[in-house]
Amino acid sequence: MKASIRNDPHFRPLVILAACIVLLSAVDWGQWRFLSAATPFSTLQTFANIGLVALGLGLTMMIREFDLSVVGMFGLAGCVAVMTGAAHPWFGIACAIAIGLAAGIIQGLIMVRFALGSVGVTLGGLLTFVGLAHVLTENRSVPYDNFRVALLVNEPFAGLLSVRSGVSLAIFAVVALTFGFTRLGRDIIAIGSDRRAAMIAGVNVDAFIVGIFAFSGVCAAATGALLSYSLASASPAGLSDVLVPAAAAAILGGVSLGGGSGRPLGIATGALVLAVLRSGLNAVEAPPFVNDIAMGAILLTVAIGDGPYLMRRLRQLAARERTDR
Amino acid sequence: MPEVLSVEGLGKSYTGVRALHDVSFSLGSGEIRGICGENGAGKSTFVKILMGITQPDSGSIRIAGRARDIPGPRQAQGMGLGIVAQELSLAPHLSILDNIWLGSAGVPLLHRRQALRERAQKALDALGVGDWDLNGRVGALTMGQRQIVEIARLLARDTQVLILDEPTATLSDSEIERILAVLRELKAQGRSVIYISHRLGEIFELCDTVTVFRNGECVATKPVQEVSREGLIELMLGRPFDEMYPQHHANPDARNALVIERLTVPGMVHDFSAVAPRGKILCVAGQIGSGAAMVTRAAAGLLPDAIGRLTLDGKTLRLGSVPHCVARNVFFLSEDRASEGLFPPMKVLDNLVATRLYAHAPLGVLSWRALRRIATDLAERVGVDRNRLGTAAVNLSGGNQQKLLFGRTLERTEPGVLLMNEPTRGIDVGARAEIYRLMRRLCDLGYALVMTSSDLEEVVGIADIVVTMYRGRTVARYEGERIAMSTILADITHPAEQAAR
Amino acid sequence: MTGKGDTVRGTREMSMPLAPDWRLLPTAVRAVVIVALTVACVATPGFFSLPNILSLLTTVSFMGCVAVGMTLITISGNIMSFSLGATAGAAAMVFIVAVNIGGIGIGLIAALAVAALVSAAQGFAVGWVRANPIIVSIAAVALIYGTAEIFTRHSSIYFKPGTGIEILRGKLGGVPLEFVVLLCVTAAGQFILYLTRFGRNLYMMGSSFRAAEAAGVKTWRTVTGAYLWAGAFTGLAGVMLAIRYDGANMDYGVGYEYDAIAAVLVGGTLMKGGHGSALRTLAGAMIIAIVQAMLLLRGFRQEWQYLFTGLIVFAVILLHSSGERR
Repeated sequence: MKASIRNDPHFRPLVILAACIVLLSAVDWGQWRFLSAATPFSTLQTFANIGLVALGLGLTMMIREFDLSVVGMFGLAGCVAVMTGAAHPWFGIACAIAIGLAAGIIQGLIMVRFALGSVGVTLGGLLTFVGLAHVLTENRSVPYDNFRVALLVNEPFAGLLSVRSGVSLAIFAVVALTFGFTRLGRDIIAIGSDRRAAMIAGVNVDAFIVGIFAFSGVCAAATGALLSYSLASASPAGLSDVLVPAAAAAILGGVSLGGGSGRPLGIATGALVLAVLRSGLNAVEAPPFVNDIAMGAILLTVAIGDGPYLMRRLRQLAARERTDR
Repeated sequence: MPEVLSVEGLGKSYTGVRALHDVSFSLGSGEIRGICGENGAGKSTFVKILMGITQPDSGSIRIAGRARDIPGPRQAQGMGLGIVAQELSLAPHLSILDNIWLGSAGVPLLHRRQALRERAQKALDALGVGDWDLNGRVGALTMGQRQIVEIARLLARDTQVLILDEPTATLSDSEIERILAVLRELKAQGRSVIYISHRLGEIFELCDTVTVFRNGECVATKPVQEVSREGLIELMLGRPFDEMYPQHHANPDARNALVIERLTVPGMVHDFSAVAPRGKILCVAGQIGSGAAMVTRAAAGLLPDAIGRLTLDGKTLRLGSVPHCVARNVFFLSEDRASEGLFPPMKVLDNLVATRLYAHAPLGVLSWRALRRIATDLAERVGVDRNRLGTAAVNLSGGNQQKLLFGRTLERTEPGVLLMNEPTRGIDVGARAEIYRLMRRLCDLGYALVMTSSDLEEVVGIADIVVTMYRGRTVARYEGERIAMSTILADITHPAEQAAR
Repeated sequence: MTGKGDTVRGTREMSMPLAPDWRLLPTAVRAVVIVALTVACVATPGFFSLPNILSLLTTVSFMGCVAVGMTLITISGNIMSFSLGATAGAAAMVFIVAVNIGGIGIGLIAALAVAALVSAAQGFAVGWVRANPIIVSIAAVALIYGTAEIFTRHSSIYFKPGTGIEILRGKLGGVPLEFVVLLCVTAAGQFILYLTRFGRNLYMMGSSFRAAEAAGVKTWRTVTGAYLWAGAFTGLAGVMLAIRYDGANMDYGVGYEYDAIAAVLVGGTLMKGGHGSALRTLAGAMIIAIVQAMLLLRGFRQEWQYLFTGLIVFAVILLHSSGERR
C-alpha cells in the first residue's frame, strides 16, 4: 500500500504542496504574515490567474501535444474582452471565449487534417494571436473603464473566493467529475498512452484533439479576459509570462509528457502549489526573483526526475564505481 | 456456409503507386482463412481497408450480404469486424478492464462500471484466463497476454469477423498454442477468422483455406489440404523456390572467438556462458522473456546493469558501452529495425557509413569522398542497388533495410562480431534466403555471429551451435548434428520435464 | 513492416505518368516564393534604398544567429529551446559588465562562455537523463530571469565611457558588421552539420534516437554539444544587441526564441528532427526579415509584423505537410 502511494504520480503534488506550506510557515514563524487570513484569498486569486490555463495546457500534454498558443490567446482574449466589454461585460467575455473556441478548433482541425504536430501549429497560432492583439490595440495598452466590473470580479465572497477564483474552481470541478466518471477520461489517457492503439480500438482520436485544443483555447481566453477585467486594462505584451507557471503547474500536478498519466485534480494541486508559493513569498516579503528561481528549480527538478534515463545513468555510475574499486 | 464478408474488385493506389488491384475475396461463417504473401504484396492495405483506416479507390464490400462503406474503425466495429493488429491497439497505462472497453461503441458516456466488469470477465472466462485481475495494468503483461486481451476485447464487442495480422510474430510457442486453441474455439461458435501470417506452419495447422497475395493482387484461394508447403511458397514468390539455407562451412579459426562468461542481467539473464567462435553462427534460442534477446543486447553494451566477463580474441570487452563495442567491431542488429536500427529519413549513404565516421574524420572533419566510395562499395557487397544511395532508407523494403544494416558491419580492418535479434523478422521469403547467404558469407570472412530467433525452423536451419534458455537460465548446448527441433522446443518450453526424463 | 512494404513497390515500378509528381512541389514552392518576394520588393518603393537594406541586414542578424543555434537543437530531435531569448539577454548584460571590467576581449569571452554554459547545462539535462527539452528550457527561462533579477533589479546597464566599443558598430566593405557575423555563424553551423562527425551524429540522433544509441553514438555528449553551440551562437547575438543598442537589460532578449524557431521552420527544417540545415535557416530568417521590412515600408506599423510572421509560419507548415504526404 505504501509503495503504491509513493509510486502514484498524483501523490507528488500533495507532498510538494505540504513542503511549500511547511517551509513558508517556518520562514514566517511568529510573524503571522504567511499564516494570516489574507493568504488563502490571495492564493486563490493567483490560482485563478494560472489554474485554467494550466488545465487546458495540461490536457493537451496528456494527449502528448503541447499548446503553445495559450500564451497568445491569454493576451488576445484580454484585449478583446476589454475592447468589446466596456458597456456589457458579459458581451466582452462572450467575444473572448468565442475567439478562444474558434482559434482552438481551427488549430485542432489543421493538426488533424494535415497530420501535423502541435508545437509547429500552435507556434503559428501564438505568433498570429500576439500579432492580432497588437493590431487590434494598435500596440497600446487599453484601459477598461467599467470600474464597477473591475471591482466586482475581485470582490471577496464567502471569505475566500472571488468571482474569478470561484469560476476557476467550478470549471475544475466540472472537468474533474467528467474526467473521473465518464468514458472521456479513460479515452484521453488511452490517446496519450498510445494514440494509434486508441484509434484502432475505435476512439475518435481526431475529435478529441480538436475538442481538447478548443477547450484549451477557451480556458486561456476566459482567464485572460477575467484577469484583464480585474486589472482594468489590457495590453498586447503585458500578459505573456503565463507559459512558465502553466507548464510548471501541469508538470507538478503529475502530467507526464510521455503521455498516459495526469488528471485534472492533479493539475489543480500543481497550480495551487505555485499559487501558495507566489502569494506566500509575497506575504513574507521575499524579493520577486525568489519566486522565479523557486519555480524554475522545482520545474527543473521534476523534469530531471521524470527523465526516462535517470535510473539507467545512476546505475551506470554505480557500476563504474564497482569496477574502479 | 453462409457468406459473412465479400469483397469485389477492390483497388487502392497511393499517388500513382498501386498497392491493391482488383481483389475479390469472400469468407464464410465459421471459416478460418489464412492470408499469405510477401511484404508489400498488399495484405496490410487489404486489412486497413477492411478496418476503415484506409479508403479504397474502387470496388465494393458486402458484409452479411449488404453493401457497406467502412469510413473508420468505429464503423467497422459496428459491422462486426474486429482486428488484432500487428502492433497492438492497447493503451499500456490503462487497466485490462478499461482496455477491453476502450473505444467500444457500446459504452455510453455515463455508464455502470459493474455491468462492464461482468461482461469483460465473461470474455476472459471464454478465453480460459478468467483468473486475471481486471484492474491490472496492461503495461505489465507479456506480449502474448496482451494479444489475449485484444481477443477478449473483440469477444466483448461480439465481433463476427476477427482479423489477426501477424499475431504470432512476437509470441513464444506456448503463447501461440493458446491463441490457436482460442481461435478454434471461436470457429466452433460460428465466428470467422482472417489469419495473416508469415509462418506457414501455422497456416497449415489452423486454417481451412488460404489466400495468397502477390504484387497487390489476389493470386489464389485454396483449401489448405490442396496445397503443399513448397507450392504455397511458389505461389507467394511467383517463381520456383530454391533451398533457403546455405551450406555450412568448416570453421577456419577455432582459437579466436567471442567468449561470454557468467553474464548476468538482473532480473533477466542469470549466469550465462557461451563461446561464439569466429566463422560460426551461435544461436541463443528461447521464448520471448527467456532472456535470450537480453544476452545479445548486453553483449552489445546496451544494458548498463549487465555484469560478467566478455572477451574477444582473448582481449576484454567492456560491458555497458556501445561506443566501446563499436570500436572493437562488435555490432548489434536489433529486431526492431524501424526504430533501433535505421535512420529512416536519412539517405542510404548516411545509413551505410553511420558507424564508420570515426575512421574517416581526421580531427572530426569528414572526408565525404572517402565515405561515398565506401558506401558505394558496401552497397554492392550486400546487394543494394548503388543508384539508390541517395534515397531515404525508409523507402527501402524490409529485406533491403536489413541488408543495409549488415552493410554497416562489413569492410572492417578486421572481421568483427555480429549480435542479431530476430534477423529475419518481417522479411519475406525471397529476401530471407539472401540474408542467410549473407550471414554465411560473413562467417567465411571470419566474423563471429550470435543470433536469437523465435522461429525454430530458422534456428535449426542456420545455426552451428544452439544454446537454449528458459527464464533467464541456460538449459543446454547443442552443436552440429545434435541440433534438433524437438529437443530445442522441449528445452525452451518445459525444461523441467526434460530434466526429469 | 508490411505497411512499409506497400510503399516500396511503387519506387520500383515508378509512378504512373498522369499522377502529379509531388517531389517537384518543394522546388515549385521555392521558385514561387522567390519570384513573389522579388516582385513585391521591386514594387515596394524604397525597398532597395541603402538605409532600408542596411537596417534589414542588421535586424536579421540578431535573430539569425539565434536561429542557426536553434537549428542544431531542432535537428538533434529536441524540438526547440525556449531559453535562447533569455540567454541572449543575459549574454548582453554579461558582455557589458565584463567589458566595463576588462575590455572587449574579456567581455566577448565572458559573454560567450556564460551563454554556452547556460545552454549546455540544459543540454546535459536533456541528453544525460533524457529530460523533456521543452520543460527544461522553460525552467531555464525562469532561472535565468530570476538570477538576472538578483544582479540588476530590473534595470538597464550601460557601457562605461572609453571602452572603445564604438569600433564594433562599423561596417565591413559596406556591409554591417552584424551581418558579417551572421554569415560567419551560418558558415560555421553549416560546417558543423555537414562536415563533422558531431554534425552527422546530430542528424542520426534526430532521425532515430534508439538507432543512434545502438550504432554507438555518444548521445548525451552530442545533445550537450548541440546546446553548447546553440548557446554560443545566441551569446554572439546578445553581444551584438548590447553593442548596437549601447546597453542592455533582460527585456532585450524577449521573443527571440519565437522569431528563431519561426525562421527555422520557414527555412524548411522539420520540427521532428533529423532534417534541415543552417543555410535553410538563413534563408528562412531572410524571408521573414524581408517581409517585415516590406510591411514597414508599405505603411503597416510594427504591430502587423507578428501577425504576418505567424501567418507565414502557418503557411510554411501547411505547405510542408502537403509536400510530405504521398
